[in-house]
Amino acid sequence: MTVLPILKSATLAAVLLASTAVFASARDVTISVWSGGSGPNDNYRTDAFDIAADILEREAAIRGEELNIIIQKTPYNGWEDFKQALTLAAEAKKAPNIVATGHEDIGPWAQSGLIVPVEDFIDLDSWPISDIYPNLMEIGSFNGAVYGIPQDAESRPMFFWKPYMKAIGYTDADIDALPVKVEKGEYTLKNVLEDAKKMQDKGLVQAGYGFYPRTNNGPDYWQFYTSFGGVMEEEGKLVFDKAAMKRTYQYFADLVKAGVTKKNHIGMPGDQWWKEVATGKAGIWHGGTWHYARLVNQEGLKDFFGNVQFTLIPAGEGGKANTLTHPLVYLLTSGHTEEETQIAADLIKIASEPRINALHAIKSAHLGISPSETKVDLYAGDRWAFEATERLLPHANAMPNNADFGKYWTIMWKNFEASWTGAKTADAAVNDAENELKSTLGYAIIIR
Amino acid sequence: MIAPAAIMIFLFFLMPVGLTAIFAMTSMSTATGISGGVWQVTQGAVNRLEGDMPALAEGIAQPRFVVDEEGLAALEALKLKPGYVIELRAEHVGEVFPSRREAERVIKALKDRPSTREVKQISDLFNRSVLNTRFESREALVRSLEKLGFKLTPEERDKVATATYTGWVWTTDNFRMIGNSPDMAQIFLNTAFYVAVTLLLFNVSYALFLAVTTHYMPPTTASVFRAIWLLPRITPVVIYVLMWKWLTWDNGFLSLLMGQFGVPPKNYLLDNSYNAWFFVILINGFIGASMGMLVFSSAIKAIPETQFHASEVDGASRWQQIRYIILPQLRWPILFVTCYQTLSLLASFQEIHLSTRGGPGKATEVWSLAAFHTALNNYTGNLEYGLGAAMALVLVVVGLVLSLIYLRVFRYDTLISKPLIED
Repeated sequence: MTVLPILKSATLAAVLLASTAVFASARDVTISVWSGGSGPNDNYRTDAFDIAADILEREAAIRGEELNIIIQKTPYNGWEDFKQALTLAAEAKKAPNIVATGHEDIGPWAQSGLIVPVEDFIDLDSWPISDIYPNLMEIGSFNGAVYGIPQDAESRPMFFWKPYMKAIGYTDADIDALPVKVEKGEYTLKNVLEDAKKMQDKGLVQAGYGFYPRTNNGPDYWQFYTSFGGVMEEEGKLVFDKAAMKRTYQYFADLVKAGVTKKNHIGMPGDQWWKEVATGKAGIWHGGTWHYARLVNQEGLKDFFGNVQFTLIPAGEGGKANTLTHPLVYLLTSGHTEEETQIAADLIKIASEPRINALHAIKSAHLGISPSETKVDLYAGDRWAFEATERLLPHANAMPNNADFGKYWTIMWKNFEASWTGAKTADAAVNDAENELKSTLGYAIIIR
Repeated sequence: MIAPAAIMIFLFFLMPVGLTAIFAMTSMSTATGISGGVWQVTQGAVNRLEGDMPALAEGIAQPRFVVDEEGLAALEALKLKPGYVIELRAEHVGEVFPSRREAERVIKALKDRPSTREVKQISDLFNRSVLNTRFESREALVRSLEKLGFKLTPEERDKVATATYTGWVWTTDNFRMIGNSPDMAQIFLNTAFYVAVTLLLFNVSYALFLAVTTHYMPPTTASVFRAIWLLPRITPVVIYVLMWKWLTWDNGFLSLLMGQFGVPPKNYLLDNSYNAWFFVILINGFIGASMGMLVFSSAIKAIPETQFHASEVDGASRWQQIRYIILPQLRWPILFVTCYQTLSLLASFQEIHLSTRGGPGKATEVWSLAAFHTALNNYTGNLEYGLGAAMALVLVVVGLVLSLIYLRVFRYDTLISKPLIED
């Protein structure tokens, strides 16, 4: 080996080293984002951060800083695996910087210190946060601090297959008037059962398809408890209204008894359910505003408004018509440097701007988070977003942010399922739920 | 040479069981976290204190922010922009705010425009209440309460600490809960049914049947049959269960077949709890049978062939050969398979998790699956590590007890005693 090649390679090495030094002087920040319950239409829950990062980098460049943000996106399709992964990752100090999840996680995660208040990093009086609907901001709060910035809003309507409604005697005018009748409490859950039965008796739908509910546990089922007069929380204390819960359990047992809902409905394959409601195999069902996107985009229901009517969840005995909004929120997790968390917070703020959030709202058929979002062309020009916002959102409740709510929910659902499948009577299910709530939650729950 | 075995036993048996036992004695969950908690006066804590200490509960229930000299001095010490202190002292001294938000609006409006982080730092200095503050130690909370004028006796301090602590505590409630809950009893019965039926029908009886029948086949045919019965075992479990789902779904093979006879399609797997159990036991039994089959076949091979020849000379029928030659010499393998498969059935839940997920309702929820759902995987994200660990510990105890019973029933001592003939 002569001197020349050595010199050559030394020079090359020096140049390479120098170039990496230049890159290193720019700030490289990796921000990881996870989201739960995100299907193919929900990609902007995480993709919004690509846009936000681009804007933030440009803003930094104008200030004369070189900021390079790398966004790592991990959307999860379901909830169980997502919550397991997130909780365990956070306990192992490997949580992502930003997480989009249901607002009910704020309670337990804040108490155990997995998340930090977002208001420590974002001025709530600044735009666009100041413009977000106040009730949504309230849903993102826990123990007097705002932990989550609402990522979307939605509500959960009752759907009716119009051709079958006509076949059992409703005129077009009747069907158009249905939302108002439901809102006034003139059309109730009892009518739902009766109409479902009529559809089956006429042979329009198969047995068990008259009323075709959600196939697994979900916030939806609290709506029926509300319909029957139940309250979830009062002044920071959970409430278990025995009579209302019994009426709820009994209603589903009655649906099964009348043959309009299947006894083994819970746990059926989700894909099959979608296909069936999109093709008119079911008469009446309930779902969420975002179902519109999947029905129209993936399931091929081209004429949605011609075939489907939607209303609030009708009232039952002792309650009123209602719907539930279950906003997802962006949360900041603990265990990162203050600088990283500040950048993550800045990104959330940009991602919450009307035009960017509207991409998610319209693509996934969720509802907007701020009044100005409804004025973005994309949003304003969308019939579904407009009608659903007007008809449903003013009547929307939300589940409480309470560290013990998950326990309550688990017990409530376990007994719901047992009475639905006939493993327990509604009476026994309510009593079992009461006993277990007393022994696990004690003073934290009011039982009446 | 005892050390390697001891290390293995410690690492892979004693340590997991020990950790499970420790977890089982705690109230650990998502909400308490694993690594410990803080002391925080939340609305929930105030509710808990109302009964015993109403005066204290009322006194600490409201947030209160005061711009006072003490706070200003602390702010000076922070060495942020001097303009903050000057302006606050000149314009806002003595002002009282009933919420953090209102205090921060004033701080935010200072002419030097503090950043959001600074606003939080400054407002903390003027916080004259304990509501919603996270204290890293119990003493810090007590000191703050004393500063606010609440003199507490040691017992009262204990009460306050208990009511405000956010982390996990040592408890035996998990076991009490398991003992008292009717749902747990149901899951226990489910498990007993599942293990007993799968074990008896498939893992032992059917495996024995396969081993004996293939024993009487020509060797090549026997190998083919055994290879076929190994398929469920060697197919990846996700694919294996998916094939069962294809068979039983509403649009699956069974529905298509029955459709030919005018039966409306239905989900055979989840139609009712009998169906679900039927398929859960088949799914597990077909996997389990292959292991017994292999063990029994090789054990039969080990029987000296002369015994069969001699019995045939004596005119023994096939049944008599099985009854008097094969079965007596299979006591060891049968004990082993029964014992091993009981433990593996008790602990295995992946096939049920993938097929019925414990449904319909909670009909096919078995103990190990319920422990998994409780501790690690449920829709609400309420992971109860403590309760789940207690459930797992129950399983360990049940496994040990059953093993001891088996040893007694199969008279293990006579199996390991030296044969008299060789003495």
